[in-house]
Amino acid sequence: MITQDAVVAANRFGFGEPPDEMREITQDPRGWVKQQIVAEQTLPAPLAALPSTIDDQLAFFRWLRDYRKEVQSPTDAAMSGSVEQSYVKALYPRYQTAVKARFDTAVATPTPVFERLVHFWSNHFTVSGAKPIAIALPPSFERDAIRPYVTGKFADMLLAAAKHPAMLIYLDNTQSIGPHSQWAKNPPKRRQQFAGIQAPRGLNENLAREILELHTVGVHGSYDQADVTRFANIITGWQVLTPRQFGRFAARWAGIGNDLFYFNAAAHEPGDHSVMGKTYKADGVQQGEAVLHDLAQHPATASFLATKLARHFIADEPTDAVVSHLATVFRNTDGDLGAVTRALIDIPEAWSQPRAKLKQPEEYLISAVRTLGGPPLHDRQLLASLNAMGQRPYMPSGPDGWSDQQDYWLSPDGVWQRIEWAQLAGRVLAATINQPDVYAEALFGTTLSAHTRSAIGHAESPAQGLALLLTSPEFMRR
Amino acid sequence: MNMAKINRRTLLTTVGVAAAASPLPRLVFASPVIERRLVVIVQRGGMDGLAALPAYGDPHFEAARAGIAAPPPGSTGGALALDTLFALHPSLTEFATLYREQSLLPIHATCVAYHGRSHFDAQNVLDNGAAVPYLLKSGWLNRALSALPNSRDDLGIAIAQTMPVIMRGDAVITSWYPSILPPPDTDTIARIAAMYTRDPKLDAALARARSAHEMAADVDAGAQFVNLMAAAGVFLAKPQGPRVALIESTGWDTHANQAATYGALTRNLRELNGGVASLREALGSAWAATVVLIMTEFGRTVAMNGTAGTDHGTGGAAFLLGGAVAGGRVLADWPGLRPNDLYEGRDLRPTTDLRAVVKGVLAEHLGIPDAHIERLVFPDSADVKPSRDLIHSGSATTST
Repeated sequence: MITQDAVVAANRFGFGEPPDEMREITQDPRGWVKQQIVAEQTLPAPLAALPSTIDDQLAFFRWLRDYRKEVQSPTDAAMSGSVEQSYVKALYPRYQTAVKARFDTAVATPTPVFERLVHFWSNHFTVSGAKPIAIALPPSFERDAIRPYVTGKFADMLLAAAKHPAMLIYLDNTQSIGPHSQWAKNPPKRRQQFAGIQAPRGLNENLAREILELHTVGVHGSYDQADVTRFANIITGWQVLTPRQFGRFAARWAGIGNDLFYFNAAAHEPGDHSVMGKTYKADGVQQGEAVLHDLAQHPATASFLATKLARHFIADEPTDAVVSHLATVFRNTDGDLGAVTRALIDIPEAWSQPRAKLKQPEEYLISAVRTLGGPPLHDRQLLASLNAMGQRPYMPSGPDGWSDQQDYWLSPDGVWQRIEWAQLAGRVLAATINQPDVYAEALFGTTLSAHTRSAIGHAESPAQGLALLLTSPEFMRR
Repeated sequence: MNMAKINRRTLLTTVGVAAAASPLPRLVFASPVIERRLVVIVQRGGMDGLAALPAYGDPHFEAARAGIAAPPPGSTGGALALDTLFALHPSLTEFATLYREQSLLPIHATCVAYHGRSHFDAQNVLDNGAAVPYLLKSGWLNRALSALPNSRDDLGIAIAQTMPVIMRGDAVITSWYPSILPPPDTDTIARIAAMYTRDPKLDAALARARSAHEMAADVDAGAQFVNLMAAAGVFLAKPQGPRVALIESTGWDTHANQAATYGALTRNLRELNGGVASLREALGSAWAATVVLIMTEFGRTVAMNGTAGTDHGTGGAAFLLGGAVAGGRVLADWPGLRPNDLYEGRDLRPTTDLRAVVKGVLAEHLGIPDAHIERLVFPDSADVKPSRDLIHSGSATTST
């Protein structure tokens, strides 16, 4: 019989498992989870097939070139749609393919726990394609700046994320110019106005603020507006290579987006600056890197990340004891995320309540296809399904990412959309699964309630029984 | 005294002669009485109040907003003048019409109680109604529904896929969003409902969804802002339907290129304008009994930033509009735009706590007793006195 621990291992820390795998996990649920908390050796095939960050950047500049040809004089009359709409339309296919690749990877991976960590940290360092200019950027960001570090040091992930072209573009840092820099006094001629877009002339504090508030110490991390402004000054000049600079090397490069980082001394604010009480000497790019290193080690960062991890994997409102334990491990291991994750697995509360959290829509669909073997979803069906449930991957509304609270997702409409989807899916799956109640028991073992089992067992058809299985509390929660 | 005011209005409303006392020109003696309606539009991202409601009459406005202000009133494509001080963004033509009809009451230099410039904290405060982020778990709009005289389940509806904080809490509310999937058959739904009897949260959510979908049978299913506003109008126009609707509007965080003709800010304001028109049309006669509150988490910096946009600021603009609003004027204790006038040297100084406006609407429009507002809806806000005379006392009737 499938045990509660096996159900928790598969669902809370993974995406659920099909019956054969559930029997395997029952032998050693904690071992099954922990063995997956190791660095990845080979990139999954769907992700390896995606275009590189360099290619995403080139696609942007190709679009810009074509757009300029089409719109000789950017007057209102010539612009039937907005610049943004044209761009989104040109780049949307890349986005759609990437969402499907992320989904397929999660459905097929032999290491779903690792994949869950990728999703978690990718959401922590949100780059959202909901901002039109960033529509094609999140997938390669996730692959380059998140994936290699989810079981490594947090400081390494923070630096990779903060210096990745996608983050620099998404949070406007490529446009931020030091007020006393060379470029502020004497802007280069080629940076002229196009289509109402003026060349940047000064500071933009967006990235600096979000690094403090969302990525490291959190909003209670005892910094003030002056810290934000000074940190923003420190990271002026953190830009992305232009195609002129990188184009001729593009074929040679392996496609790691961080290679495109470019420190532009001419746009960098000169001088020493202090952040949260510590002075950082003028030192080019290393001035900002030093701030990031200190932020990664700040005790407030340890607590903030511990809270988020516990909220994601254990319960909406984790106990203080759980949070402080994880924060301690974080501090004692110099922010080793593998060690922190293993500590999370060892916490008894993580295993005690089988259905503490509601699955988010993307998790819900991944778990359906992973555990039931279908229905097959081509890329447009997948996006339509996710869109209906209120979660377009890579497109949360802001840089704080998706909510990790049940009350956000468990709305009347949210439940209704899952029911609509489950009914369609049940009809397709009935071709391969004809005893839904037996199947439910193979997925949920001792945790399947008699009430749910009876509801599924008394369905008028296998298709309806599968719709009931997919909408059951056991399946909706993890 | 306030109590007496509410009682008098309640009485007038009940006997259906309130329109006689109303200055609204389009109102006539009317029946049947429809209970008052409230639509709350939350603009996520920080709407630039000085762009939506520019203060051309301030001698420092044009210098302070150099590079991003719309052309002044009177010029081609210029802002739409309201009075000697304020104007509307050129896209807000429907708003200008409402102002002339005395159904628009813009509020300027307003802000939530939190001034920290974080989107997420400010949105949390905007939603939960406290002075401190995350102090309260529920939302003020949900608590207001509990505090309504004759409160019942399903008085509120969120036109949203997920439940925003402002609508979370003890009052049972529903949510609805246009669906692209075929509806489930009734037998399957009934069986799922039976399966949920031991999971109270899923059970309640499904019950709400079922009734919302029954009501929405005749709603146009598009998901653009203009469609969502029309859907809200359809729900609220039903005499036995919900009385309060919530709609979210996103994309107001305009750090770059906001002044461009096809930039995000201009597009959002155009959508807002169209949405108000479609809401009014869908509400039909219920428009006369309706107040629409449009609010955002903060205003933006007064000066243009280095990227032709604006950064997170403090004071900004909000709007009340609808047939029940005593409009045709701007509510603002204007702080001025000289460098020394600005909050922390960069933002419009907030002079009106947004809660004062909301309290006034809840009391005058929905008839929630002041004591309930102070104790249940906005606890620990006694120093924030409700704004008064925002609402026509006789507007809870239908025009014909």
